[in-house]
Amino acid sequence: MKIDRRCFLSLVIGGAVGTTLTPVPWKLTDDIAIWTQNWPWTPSPEKGPSVYKKSVCTLCNGGCGINVRTVKGQAKKIEGQADYPVNRGSLCPMGISATQHLYGPSRIQSPMKRTGERGQGKWEKISWAEAISTVSEKLAELRSRKKPHTVACIAESDRGTVPYLLQRFLTAYGSPNFIRTPSSFDAQEQALYLTQGRHGTIGYDLENAGFILSFGSALMDAWGTAGQMLSASADFKQKNKLIQVEPRLSDTAALASQWVAAKPGTEAALALGLAHVIVRDNLYNKEFVDNYAFGFEDWEDENGTVHQGCKSLLKQYPPKKVAGITGIDKGTIESLARKFARAKRPVAICGRGSGMVPGGLDEALAVFALNALVGNINQPGGVTAIPEPDYWPEMQRDKTASNGMQQPRVDGAESDRFPNTRYLLNRVPEAINSAKGESPIQALLVAGGNPLYTMADTETAKKAFDKIPFIASFSTYMDETAQYADILLPNHHFLERFEDVPTPAGTPTRVIGLTRPVVEPRHDTRHIGDTLINIAGSLGGFIENAFPWENYEAFLKQTLTKQWDSLEKQGYWVDPEFMPPAWEKAFQTPSGKYEFYPSQRSKASGKDADALPGFRQVELPGDPEKMPLTLMPYASARIAGGAVANPPFMTKTVDTDVIKDGAVFVEINPQTAKKHGLSEGDAAVLKTPAGKARVRIHLFEGLMPGLVAMPAGLGHTAFSDYIAGKGANVNALLTDVTDPGSGLNAGWGIRASLVKA
Amino acid sequence: MTTPAIPEGVKRCSTRKFAIWLAVVGAVLLWGVYAMFLVWYKGLNQTGMNDAYGFALWIWADLAVIALGGGAFFSGFLTYIIGKKELKNIINYAVIIGFICYSSALLILALDIGQPLRGWFIFWHANVHSMLTEVAFCLSVYFGVLTIEFIPVVLENPKLDRVPFLHHLSHNLHEVMAVFAATGVFLSFFHQGSLGGVAGVLYGRPFSFREGLLIWPWTFFLFTWSAAAVGPCFTVMVTWLTEKVTGKKLVKQEVFQLLGKISGWMLLTYMIAKIADTWYWAVVTAPSKGFALMDFYTNNPVYGIWILIAELVVCGLVPAFILISRKGRENNTLLLTAMILAVIGICINRWVMVLQVMAAPLLPFQEWYMYMPTWQEVATTILPVAYGIILISLAHRYLPVFPQEKELNPGN
Amino acid sequence: MTKQAQHTKTKRYGMVIDLDRCTGCGACMVGCYAENNVPFRKDETDKMLSLNWLRVFKVDNGKPFPDTEVCYIPKPCMQCDGRHMEGHSPCVSVCPAVATDYDEPTGVVSQIYTRCFGCRYCMAACPYHARKFNWWDPVWPADMEKYLNPDVSVRMRGVVEKCSFCYHRYQKARDKAYVEGRDEIAENEYQPACAEACPTRAITFGDLHNPEHEVYELSRSKKAFRLLEKLNTNPKVYYLTSKSWVRRKADNYLEGESPADRKPAHKAETASH
Ligand SMILES: Nc1nc2c(c(=O)[nH]1)N[C@H]1C(S)=C(S)[C@@H](COP(=O)(O)OP(=O)(O)OC[C@H]3O[C@@H](n4cnc5c(=O)[nH]c(N)nc54)[C@H](O)[C@@H]3O)O[C@H]1N2
Ligand SMILES: Nc1nc2c(c(=O)[nH]1)N[C@H]1C(S)=C(S)[C@@H](COP(=O)(O)OP(=O)(O)OC[C@H]3O[C@@H](n4cnc5c(=O)[nH]c(N)nc54)[C@H](O)[C@@H]3O)O[C@H]1N2
Ligand code: SF4
Ligand code: SF4
Ligand code: SF4
Ligand code: SF4
Ligand code: SF4
Ligand SMILES: [Mo]
Repeated sequence: MKIDRRCFLSLVIGGAVGTTLTPVPWKLTDDIAIWTQNWPWTPSPEKGPSVYKKSVCTLCNGGCGINVRTVKGQAKKIEGQADYPVNRGSLCPMGISATQHLYGPSRIQSPMKRTGERGQGKWEKISWAEAISTVSEKLAELRSRKKPHTVACIAESDRGTVPYLLQRFLTAYGSPNFIRTPSSFDAQEQALYLTQGRHGTIGYDLENAGFILSFGSALMDAWGTAGQMLSASADFKQKNKLIQVEPRLSDTAALASQWVAAKPGTEAALALGLAHVIVRDNLYNKEFVDNYAFGFEDWEDENGTVHQGCKSLLKQYPPKKVAGITGIDKGTIESLARKFARAKRPVAICGRGSGMVPGGLDEALAVFALNALVGNINQPGGVTAIPEPDYWPEMQRDKTASNGMQQPRVDGAESDRFPNTRYLLNRVPEAINSAKGESPIQALLVAGGNPLYTMADTETAKKAFDKIPFIASFSTYMDETAQYADILLPNHHFLERFEDVPTPAGTPTRVIGLTRPVVEPRHDTRHIGDTLINIAGSLGGFIENAFPWENYEAFLKQTLTKQWDSLEKQGYWVDPEFMPPAWEKAFQTPSGKYEFYPSQRSKASGKDADALPGFRQVELPGDPEKMPLTLMPYASARIAGGAVANPPFMTKTVDTDVIKDGAVFVEINPQTAKKHGLSEGDAAVLKTPAGKARVRIHLFEGLMPGLVAMPAGLGHTAFSDYIAGKGANVNALLTDVTDPGSGLNAGWGIRASLVKA
Repeated sequence: MTTPAIPEGVKRCSTRKFAIWLAVVGAVLLWGVYAMFLVWYKGLNQTGMNDAYGFALWIWADLAVIALGGGAFFSGFLTYIIGKKELKNIINYAVIIGFICYSSALLILALDIGQPLRGWFIFWHANVHSMLTEVAFCLSVYFGVLTIEFIPVVLENPKLDRVPFLHHLSHNLHEVMAVFAATGVFLSFFHQGSLGGVAGVLYGRPFSFREGLLIWPWTFFLFTWSAAAVGPCFTVMVTWLTEKVTGKKLVKQEVFQLLGKISGWMLLTYMIAKIADTWYWAVVTAPSKGFALMDFYTNNPVYGIWILIAELVVCGLVPAFILISRKGRENNTLLLTAMILAVIGICINRWVMVLQVMAAPLLPFQEWYMYMPTWQEVATTILPVAYGIILISLAHRYLPVFPQEKELNPGN
Repeated sequence: MTKQAQHTKTKRYGMVIDLDRCTGCGACMVGCYAENNVPFRKDETDKMLSLNWLRVFKVDNGKPFPDTEVCYIPKPCMQCDGRHMEGHSPCVSVCPAVATDYDEPTGVVSQIYTRCFGCRYCMAACPYHARKFNWWDPVWPADMEKYLNPDVSVRMRGVVEKCSFCYHRYQKARDKAYVEGRDEIAENEYQPACAEACPTRAITFGDLHNPEHEVYELSRSKKAFRLLEKLNTNPKVYYLTSKSWVRRKADNYLEGESPADRKPAHKAETASH
């Protein structure tokens, strides 16, 4: 049959109408819609019963108790552990984001050795056996050349069993060079030792304090255990009890009942000025000062020499002069001093990031003097020294080890020059770069910490690292330092491993927390404790003998036998016996008293003024003519400021006036901006003696004119592309400014210029 | 004997020339189709829209094109219901333009939704409270009506007309066209209105929010009225453009003038209502939400106060006065200028009523939101223009669209 | 009817955020992302393209150094009750496909991702920018899919999402109560992830109808206010502040007008369903 046009058309139309009347198109339409609702590339998480597991977060040294929700063996959500004595259920945003690091792309998935140039990122997967034998062969070789002391280990903590094993390993091996990354508590803990004669963690009982005078401690931005601080600080505002001294209106200053914008670097002067008023007006605690303190009044030594005491030193800090130094008016100083002295349970705290305290030790000593004057040492709401844990007896060592341990430390800590300082990572680059001949460090073990990102003047640090022939990293993530290593022996993620977490700095009770595996290890990683036991095993001899445990877990259980029950059940252990000792028994100084005059402080000049806390202006690096501004890093609770890179969730919380399109914004006062021809959003080049960075401008009235504030924690170049390439690293723009007495980095900022790009 | 495809008694350009013309326009069309594909395949991230600018170029294009397509319903209303016989000479074209406008609008809507494959949920899970539901229903039904109105025009093609069934169908359709025209007017009244309602009901957006009558905000009526006023101007404008391109007079000037006159009065009354509305909004509605008039205008180049002046005065009152005056209408240039201004005016109005609504910040600590369309959005917005040109070219070539063409071009 | 019996039926879950406590730490945002499977991208700096159910704004009083003050304002979905407290919240009334709805028993404005077809009309209607569009297919790099919460469905490209007051937590609590033969959910049984995550306890959550819930008193406090109250959207998210400049930032005021002239945030609570 011939199909004519008419027939064809009828067929088409009829067919169309007919099909519409059948269920086919409707069903198809529906199916397509259902398909869009179940796209195979849109994940649908597997359901199952929730199991909560207790552990402790170690992403920063805060050590918050966490409760991890798991479903079918996978970690889903990290929540605070409500009864944990440190953080009481509160977490900082970083802790909540930890699952992103656990499952994220920056994990190192197996041991690896470098194949390309250093830092090039070319790696070859190797077995654990090969990794361990590579490291032990290198170490054995150095030992056979009688150079065990040229091995150094960088760790981010010196407390807990893992740092202990590291130290034990170095001791058995023969190196004094265990170096902990600097911390804002370095100066405070040294001050603690000098005034109280105790090595320990500093505890501030902020919850019970009636009045808190904070010298720049970013309590709500990132200080100490952020989870704990945020939780406790909730009441600060309500109770009207926080005064914040700081040149920038930080989140802490914003919530304080008073913001005292003292010139940066003059905190010691302010503290001494306040002490002056308290002493002048007789507002100090006479019971404590008269009976339990030494060096308040002038004193006479065994030789009959009369020394200046704190009281007469304070005469040099009358309010008028202090007003000139700090820029805070006299009236404010007077009233602040009276408020502080008359308050119930007042406490003064200090400690900004990085141990980069202006005047280093002096500021801490000056602030401690304030606390001593009001007698709130070892009192509720006061300052306490939490004793350090003591784990295992000394082990036997061979001669090579003993000889090695006799050698001076490469960083100069505990030397005659810096007798009371335990670690000086900031001085290591200089020590290597200035050494004639081969590097004083021949092998470096990076066991936690990410020095190539966190150290001031990253370029110089990198140069020093270039001279170290062998670098091994135990990092869990491909961080900047791991990327620069020769061999990687990745540790489990903290959600996959056991570890004890002793009292975090700032916590006023003695606590041990237990980090424990919440999920099975996802990759071919190994607990750093086990790796150390393996390496010791393959080195043999006394070293092997010093590590008699089957594995880390066995060692941990044995170490914490007494506490284990509680650790297992509750996830933590609180020392029931711990009580801040009474004043009679509290001080282990040469005088047996609290020392306003720290008799053990090194005084090169022999002058009393060098022992007593004083105000010494820190000269910032840079020519003030060419660099008229001062760059100061600032902390933000929404940016991980060093301790582990910002996970994507946190970066997501950061606003567009902090980072946009990969560029970081620096804050600057509008008045200063005008002077330099800058306006909101401008692209600019920020230059300091250490380097330069492309930045953008954000005008902020809350910053003291003349300063440039830059957030810490951005500008990563490693990890993954979800983390790297966001802004610039402020550490690369800073340099080390050595505090003469302690060797700590006292540079709180650096001179800078800012030019429109 | 084969029937020629081209209507009897009119002259058309050579097939070759026509093919080149189609190829050029077709290239633009393909560019648009490519962009359309990208959008469907990769999603709306291909656009410059964001969470503040959830409505942007496309929605504007939709509103504008529907307002301009209003020429169809209003001319239909005038022709079939009021009985303005002269308009029979342009009604075919008005219907075609309307058809193009509405089919374009539907296409753009299909692009503009994040889940095009679920677009039919708007009918299936319809929410009767939503203006958009009202729009969707009226729009689709009216598009059906337009298609029905378009069919007899298509069937007049000499070749198709030879098919007896189609011939009869066409004839019968012509008979009942008034019924469809009436349905179309009714539907248009609602969907033009509900398009106005879309912005007007947003009580969280004081810039566009309007009080109103029953469930309809004033913008409901303003949109209908303005589409009726300016739609015919657009029809005339396109007809005039077609004349320029083909180099032929297609419709008598009286027809233009008649439409101009009606549009003029419509526009004037619309402007009075619009100005009253704006005034009430500026002094009563907005202040009740804490806004002063100037809070809604900023010194950025897009949303300065100039935009209000342009809409109300330059493209509103000015063309209205030109069109109501006989002198203005009788001057060809003035007539056309006025109509073009009116068309621009309505486009500005639709722009303001969607995009400025999105741009203006509400919380005092927020800033004006910015938006820049991507090439994909531009291409897909030009796509219907190319498609329209092609359809018009085909219609003009093969269909007896203009009854006066033979008479006006006797030389052929 | 006794008060107790009355609020058994209809609840108006709401939130009170104490701006005097909030430090802007961002834990609430992260808590929300983690709980609700909110995806992220390599670059999140364009906040108008970033999926954020909760955003914390920083505002300042505009005064020069050192009289500057700043305040943080966390902003989830306001769960608007609508002009006449009848549930016609700006977004719900406009959605053509009933993909977003007002849940009568709780007052929570829901969002059905599988029904939403992405017209974004609701976004245009919401004055708070609480609604976010999935411009991209969500992608979790490496093994990150593993941490997704099975209680919350993952959204596909092309649909709108927003803060749900963690409705899945309500469902869980309700189911648990049902199994245990109770008809009441205790205040602490249903708490959203952000309130739980907030380390300063700035966020309080509960039934605004229930005098035993903390939010009842707090929302009636003199310090209480809501964002853009003049729009009559009737949010169920309240804020507390002791600073008048902060209140000025929360709504629009004509010259000479002041927040003090306004009625207290919580108008006499008459509209019970
Ligand atoms: N989010 C986040 N939290 C963290 C960490 C992290 O990496 N990320 N790290 C943890 C660790 S390891 C530590 S040690 C602590 C560190 O916490 P903090 O010791 O509090 O140090 P920073 O966080 O660096 O805060 C420094 C503050 O000091 C202010 N400041 C800078 N220069 C001066 C000055 O000259 N004078 C005064 N008065 N103030 C000044 C800055 O404005 C800034 O607010 O934070 C812990 N918490
Ligand atoms: N300029 C400047 N310098 C600073 C500071 C500053 O504010 N400014 N802050 C200083 C302070 S307070 C500190 S505490 C230090 C911190 O400095 P570091 O301790 O050097 O750096 P972090 O980033 O804390 O180190 C964390 C690294 O440890 C690794 N890591 C994380 N979890 C694990 C794990 O479970 N196992 C192993 N093996 N590795 C893990 C990751 O690779 C991560 O990069 O930086 C100090 N340096
Ligand atoms: S403060 Fe430190 S330990 Fe606590 S949750 Fe945050 S990252 Fe973890
Ligand atoms: S978690 Fe609490 S304190 Fe932190 S930003 Fe959110 S509401 Fe504010
Ligand atoms: S805040 Fe926006 S999304 Fe939430 S209920 Fe109100 S209008 Fe809807
Ligand atoms: S985008 Fe989705 S939820 Fe919003 S109005 Fe459209 S269909 Fe409704
Ligand atoms: S209530 Fe739940 S969904 Fe809403 S912002 Fe808080 S955590 Fe996110
Ligand atoms: Mo630290």
